[in-house]
Order: sequence, then structure tokens, then C-alpha cells
Amino acid sequence: MQIYLPIAEISVNLLLLLSLGVGVGFLSGMFGVGGGFLLTPLLIFIGIPPAVAVSTQANQIAASSASGAIAHWRRGTLDMKMGALLLVGGMAGAFAGVQIFGYLQALGQIDLIISLCYVGFLGTIGTLMLIESINALVRRYRGTKSSSNSAARRKRRWIDRLPFKTRFPKSGLYLSVIPPVVIGTFVGTLTAIMGVGGGFIMVPAMIYVLRMPTNVVIGTSLFQILFVTLLTTVLQAGQNQTVDIVLALALIVGGVVGAQLGARAGRKIRAEELRVALAVLVIAVCLKVGWDLVATPEDLFNIISLGRPQI
Amino acid sequence: MRLWLALLTLLALAPHAAAQDEAETPAADGGPAIVAALTQERVDIRSDFAGTQLILFGAAQGMRESDDIVIVVRGPQEDLRVMRQSRILGVWVNMAPVHFEGVPSYYTVASTRPLSDVGAFSALRREGIGLDHLRLDAPDTEHREVRFGVEVTVSDIGAEIAEYRAAIARNRRREELFAETYEGVDLLEGGLFRAKVTLPPRTPVGDYTVDVYLFRNGRAVAERSVTLEVRKAGLERIIYDFAHQFAWLYGLVCAALAVLFGWAAAAIFNRR
Repeated sequence: MQIYLPIAEISVNLLLLLSLGVGVGFLSGMFGVGGGFLLTPLLIFIGIPPAVAVSTQANQIAASSASGAIAHWRRGTLDMKMGALLLVGGMAGAFAGVQIFGYLQALGQIDLIISLCYVGFLGTIGTLMLIESINALVRRYRGTKSSSNSAARRKRRWIDRLPFKTRFPKSGLYLSVIPPVVIGTFVGTLTAIMGVGGGFIMVPAMIYVLRMPTNVVIGTSLFQILFVTLLTTVLQAGQNQTVDIVLALALIVGGVVGAQLGARAGRKIRAEELRVALAVLVIAVCLKVGWDLVATPEDLFNIISLGRPQI
Repeated sequence: MRLWLALLTLLALAPHAAAQDEAETPAADGGPAIVAALTQERVDIRSDFAGTQLILFGAAQGMRESDDIVIVVRGPQEDLRVMRQSRILGVWVNMAPVHFEGVPSYYTVASTRPLSDVGAFSALRREGIGLDHLRLDAPDTEHREVRFGVEVTVSDIGAEIAEYRAAIARNRRREELFAETYEGVDLLEGGLFRAKVTLPPRTPVGDYTVDVYLFRNGRAVAERSVTLEVRKAGLERIIYDFAHQFAWLYGLVCAALAVLFGWAAAAIFNRR
């Protein structure tokens, strides 16, 4: 069943879109990640123009993070103050990212930069995650307890010496406002350029750099992602006219169903195994995108349409 | 049934059309002339659009045994940036952009015989008939020069421009936006002819022109143009117009819908 996407201006199979949404939703429900890093390359692969894929993706992530953020807010596992600071940075980053996106698009280099970002970030995060989760698995089989990092927690680091300190009662932290804003800016920029929520970078950063307690990390990152992706949606639609609402709805509906199924499946598998599987998945996507960068293209020429007269 | 009615109308109109074309066509035995019509003059792109096929019907007056019919369909023009990829540090990077202006976004040629048998090189070149003869201008990389007393267009990047042109044709062929079909025109009895016009799923919207030529001894002796309009219709058009005319409001609506769906999902999930 074909459906015509009014902004992407191509006709694609609706069932294909829905199953993509379900599939990625399933993985995101199972692993607790947004899935943008999977969906954007897949959308580009099935022929959606990269600019439309990235912008529409932001809209889809907004919907999926909204449901997650609401759930965490009800449970009280959301540090509003930290989230607000991350968001301030995130909004600045989204603004910058949309400008950079438009500039690179005009230069004809946007595909290259998106791909390079994917290889760099997914490769790094995937490898780190794989090492960490395999270590955890090994520890479990040996029966040793994971080493407590409470000693490291008390040690003063360069981050503790930054000015503008404030208290975060929910996270139990006394920390400078600079690191959250910087992290937020960085992630916001990536949202606009890569069409990802950025949870896969923000969550480790919150745990290892900000040292937030893990129970508030997911809710707080979802809170930040929700508002940054909402802003990105509006900016991309307003400035670049690249948000396809029909595509977004198909992905959202598929994603909602998939996420429910995935969350159920995820409860049956142990956390360490899940993390190994996620790491392998991330590395696989990284290798695929990387391969496309270095493999000799079928056609050495690329053709970019600079706008056609519209009626 | 409707087709035959259309044909009858065509035949009835033929003398009138001949009178119109007389000025431009060399008067050989009363002057050959063409009439033509499409089964549809407007194609609406709706949500279920997955490409479509139109039939062009026509009649050539004074057509001889050895004459040929050539049909050229041109879509709305667009500007293109064509970049050649080069390997830098092992990674393929878009380099050396060439800007092309006024390239048809859709271009198909159908003929009764292979184009090289139908028309002389100069005639095909002048009318821009065939993928080899389609005009692809890159004004930034060319200049006018007088050579042997004739003003000609010279490309600044030499023979390389041919590779860029070939790349455009290759790319558009892959997307089924460019095509050249020999024997794509069926000759029926008494100078009647018929050809299929195939619009792929990626058909660009805009105004199309369909030029029908009657070739004799390598030259076009009669010509007829009909127009075709491809446009978004229904919900697709509403969404598209909304997204472009009220871009910021459209963005807000998209954002609101996302929150609504997310909230609904959370509400359903919470209940279980």
C-alpha cells in the first residue's frame, strides 16, 4: 500500500514505514533508547531525502520521549532543575544546529557530515558500552561484586572547581551550572544535525561526568530530549520546511506499538545481556554507515536539486 | 469508448490545426500537420499516488510511409548542483560542484524508430530531442566565444562537462524521470498514433509540455504541443501549502501532535 509523503515528495509503502516504526520502537522500548540513531539511516536508505529524514525524526522522538517523560514525572524520577539547565543548553544547541544544518545543506556536504557524526559517535559509544557490559558479564560469572565507586565520588575533580555552584536537591548534588549547560548544548546541536535524541550521549555524560544518581538519569534526559526535539521540529519546519507530518505520524504510530512490545520483551532479559546486545547493534549501525563512506559509490556523481518551481 | 470519442474529436479538429501550423511547416503537398491529445490533461497527486500512465493519442495529416513520429515530454525546470565524489583520506567526499540551470525535472522521448534513424544530428540537437541532445546548461562554467566567425558556447572545464551531463542523465534514468523508448510510439491506421507517457512515483509537480514532431527525411516537418499539469491534490496539497505558507504554525502543529500522541501512549501504558 503506497502512500505519498507531501513534504518528502515521494511515494513509499505505508506498511514498510509502519513496520520500521514498530521495529525501531521495539528496540527502543527494550533498550530504553530513543532509536533515532537507527531510524534516520534507515529512512535515508529507503529513499527519504536526508534533510526530511533528520527533521521528521526529531518530531518522532518528541512523541516517544513525551510518553517516557510523563511516566517518569509521575513517578518523581525527574530532576526538574537539572533538566531545565540541560534544556537551556539544548535550546541554544538546537538553534546552532539548525543553522549549521542549513549551511552544510547549501554546501552539499550535509550527507557527509551526518555520516561522519554517526561513525564517530556510534563507534565510540558502542565500543565503550561493549567493553563495559562485557566486563559486567564477566564479573557476574565470576561472582564478584561490582566495585563501589563511592570513593571516587568524593574525590574533587576539575568539574567541582567550576564557579556558579548550585544545589540539585533531587539528585543530591552541589555542582556548577556550567557542565549541564555545556552537555545540553552539545546534545542539542547533535539533535538538529543527526536527527537523534542524543540520549546515548547524555545518559553516560550524566552518570560519569555529572555523577547523577541513575534513577533520575533516564527521566531527566527524556525531559531534555522532549523539549529540544519539540524546538527542533518547529525550527526545521519554520526555517527549512523539511518536517513531513504524514511520515512522522506513520513512524509515531508504529513506534508507540513497538515500544510497548519491546518494553515487555526487555523485562525478560537481564540488563547486562541487553547492554551487550545494544552495544553490538550500535556498532553494527556504525560499521554500515562507515562502510558506505569508504566503499566506492556506484555513481561517482551526486546530484542535488536546488529547488524546483512549485505550484 | 472515451478514447475513441477523443480520437473522433481529434480528426474533426485536424483541418483547423493544419491551418495553424501552415506558417511554420514547409508546405509540401498541402503541408503535414499533427493533432494530439492526452487522455488526461491534469494528474492529481494524492496520498495513494504511486505513479501513473497516460496515453497520448494523435493523428498526423499527410503522413507518408517513411515518416516518423517523435514525442518529447518535458517536466518543470529545476536548477541542479552536480558534484563529483573524490576520495579524501579513504572517505568519498562531494567535490567540484557544477551548477546547472533550467534542467527539466522530467524528460522522456518516445519514437517510432531509434532516434538516430529518425532525425539528422542537427535537427535533433536544435530541438533538444533525445538524452544525447538534451540541453544541459551550466552558465557559470561556460562563456561565449567567436570561432571561425561563429559565436559558440565554450565550457571552461573542457571535456569534463560531458561527464557531468552524462551523470545527470544516468541519475535521472535510474529514478525513471528520464527515459528514451524507441518504438514507444504505436502507429495505427491512417496516420493515427498512440504513445504511453509513464509518470513514476517520484514525478515532480508542475507544468509539463508534450511536444509531438513529425519527422521526414531527418527533419521535423510538423510540430504540435500539448500541456499537462501535475499537481498535488486533496489532503497532500493542503498539507504542502500549509507547511510552506504557514511554516512556523505548521511546526507548532507537528510539535503539538507529537506531545498529544506521546501523552496518549503514556496514558494507555499507565493503565495496564
